[in-house]
Amino acid sequence: MKNKIKKRRQCGTLGGYFAVFILPALIIYLTFSILPFLYTFIYSFTDYSDIKVTNLDFVGFKNYLTVLKNPLMKTAIKNSLIYAVMLTGFQVILGLPLAALLNKKLKTRNLLRAVFFFPAVFSSLIIGYLWNFIMSSSDYGLINNFLHKLGFATFNFFTADRALYSVILTQIWQWTGWAMVIFLANLQGISSELYEAASIDGADGRQQFFRITLPLMCPSVKIIVVTGLIGGMKAFDAIYSMTSGGPGNATETVMTVMMKKGISDGFYAVGSAFGVCFFVIVMIISGFTNKIMAKWSEAIS
Amino acid sequence: MKKKLLSVLLSTCLAVGLLSGCGKDAGTPADAAVAADDSAAEESGTLEESLQEGEASGEKIRLRMSYWNSEDTVQALLDFLAQAVPNVEIEYQFIENSNYDTIIDTQLVAGEGPDIICESAGGVLKHARLGYLAQVNDLAADYSAAGTSLFTYEGNVYALPGISWFEGIYYNKAIFEENNIALPKTFDEYIAVCKQFQELGITPLAAGLKSWEPMLKNSMAFVTAEYLSTEEGKSFGEDYRNGEAAMAGTWNVYLEKWSEMITEGIYTTDMIGIDHDQALEQFATGNAAMFCSGPWDYDAIMAKNPDLALDMMPFYGTQESEGWLIGGPGCGFAVNENSANKEAAMEVLTAISTYEGQKAFWENNQGGSSFLSGVSFELPEAYTGVSEALAAGNVYCPWNEWGTAAGAHENYGTEMQNYLLGISDLNTTLQNVDTAVSELLAK
Repeated sequence: MKNKIKKRRQCGTLGGYFAVFILPALIIYLTFSILPFLYTFIYSFTDYSDIKVTNLDFVGFKNYLTVLKNPLMKTAIKNSLIYAVMLTGFQVILGLPLAALLNKKLKTRNLLRAVFFFPAVFSSLIIGYLWNFIMSSSDYGLINNFLHKLGFATFNFFTADRALYSVILTQIWQWTGWAMVIFLANLQGISSELYEAASIDGADGRQQFFRITLPLMCPSVKIIVVTGLIGGMKAFDAIYSMTSGGPGNATETVMTVMMKKGISDGFYAVGSAFGVCFFVIVMIISGFTNKIMAKWSEAIS
Repeated sequence: MKKKLLSVLLSTCLAVGLLSGCGKDAGTPADAAVAADDSAAEESGTLEESLQEGEASGEKIRLRMSYWNSEDTVQALLDFLAQAVPNVEIEYQFIENSNYDTIIDTQLVAGEGPDIICESAGGVLKHARLGYLAQVNDLAADYSAAGTSLFTYEGNVYALPGISWFEGIYYNKAIFEENNIALPKTFDEYIAVCKQFQELGITPLAAGLKSWEPMLKNSMAFVTAEYLSTEEGKSFGEDYRNGEAAMAGTWNVYLEKWSEMITEGIYTTDMIGIDHDQALEQFATGNAAMFCSGPWDYDAIMAKNPDLALDMMPFYGTQESEGWLIGGPGCGFAVNENSANKEAAMEVLTAISTYEGQKAFWENNQGGSSFLSGVSFELPEAYTGVSEALAAGNVYCPWNEWGTAAGAHENYGTEMQNYLLGISDLNTTLQNVDTAVSELLAK
């Protein structure tokens, strides 16, 4: 009698079913990410605009030269980098100790976690409009009203020098809680035996944080840094709601310039070239960040 | 095996469900009825037939109308149209001003878009050139050329001018009277009045300079009074549109004088931290003597302070005159050439082109005037101070003359913010605007 051999699948070997499970996500990804990107790439070499939507002509690298020559581009890239680096940096610097603190057995631990995470629940647009009122130079601005009552002069949060940092401040306020939650999840995965062993060896709290907690937080820090930098480079909604790129062009970011030049002004081809340049920049930043993080992981292991 | 089959079935359902979401939405039953009406209208080809069919089935032809002003600014007009064209139901679509052109452009490129589109002068020229708009020459014959000229492309009119808009300087009559300050009649007198208020510890002008609009309109009104309305400057708009003139080197002398608004501390860098609504609040609650705006803000101001004694003064040049207001034909009502209900949309425009239609539109835009021949309305009390300017026809919108580069007025406002903040000098400011205009004209 022929024995019927039942094939037992190993983890990760779905065989033919692999395609069935991957297909929906793949189709969506191809349709809404890859295909538009390919179109963007093609359009970036044409004279596509709101005036010329058909019978497009190939114009070579003309649009890329327009992008690189545009003085706004430099401002936008500089602002986007400042935004991304500061937001990510402060998320890590403030989020890590906050998570370590709220991982301790405090009575108000759950309440504090909720309070710090709460701003992340709202859209950046809402947060932007809210802070608009708080930071307003008018008598109705919460902070300036308070300053006036104390006898101080008006503090203008939206001068050309300060506006970008004012927006970044609101975003740090909003997203530090989110980073804290990611760090908390990582922290709770660190075995308590390590801390017990360290205590027996006489390590104090500070030493435990720098010798055990921090090195083992590498995976979550990597997530925050990579997503923070990429998200920061794509900053749009907070800038839009608080300054719309102003005053003047002081808070223009890559995305706001791309929207204005590429979409609102109808220079679709230039906007596409801008998008491709932006893709390259983000790819370089992501690659660089991943490399640094990989080295950190190696050092720990 | 059952589990595997179930998982495959569920995955397939999920994929089909998601992909079907990407397709055209069949919409609500009402939409389906409208779609049925659309096809009926196409088959019959005439409005009467489709209306008769609509009547027979008890369903209405649904038209979509887009505008950058909120629905309350056209409520009376919508109510009027519901009665005047009973078999048409208008679905009003408010699109925020800063995204309006982008959204409309995208829809029109896709061969879709609203049936009736409220267009700016620049938008009409662009969309007419691309063949997205239907000609409205017959209806336009009843309107004055002052209104239709902005919506004319290659000899054909593509939009009907709505009620005109204007912006002047609202002032709090009580603050002026209590402090015995007389109304100015020239720019220098205006500056002197502002300084008097400053000495009294009163903010002369509330301004939300976080927006690029206030300095754009204020400075352009001065240039209009000093240059654009003169023999020397009246062809500037046309020359600018044709690439034969530049702001840099031409406007400098006027804007240097206007810059007293900045050097005298009437426009301050602190105002960059204030938005329009906050400035309106400041004025409406009696914390500032003046506020630059137009009829669209009247209700909001009075809602915040019903006891406010409000009037408006025009902008002045250095010479005494009736003064000038920034403004012109508001939106132009255009019909989408690709609309499935073009005839019904034309019927709506016909209804708007009557005294009753104009009156209904004016109801929520009081102060503006109609371009329809023989139609005029009484000026509300809040605009007594600008009656002379309006009677003299001193209402002008410089960027309306810039053709397809009209959108660069935003660049002008943004560059003026840079000028206020000392980031760029006046000549660089104007050169940057010229560059933006050249880029748009070269498209």
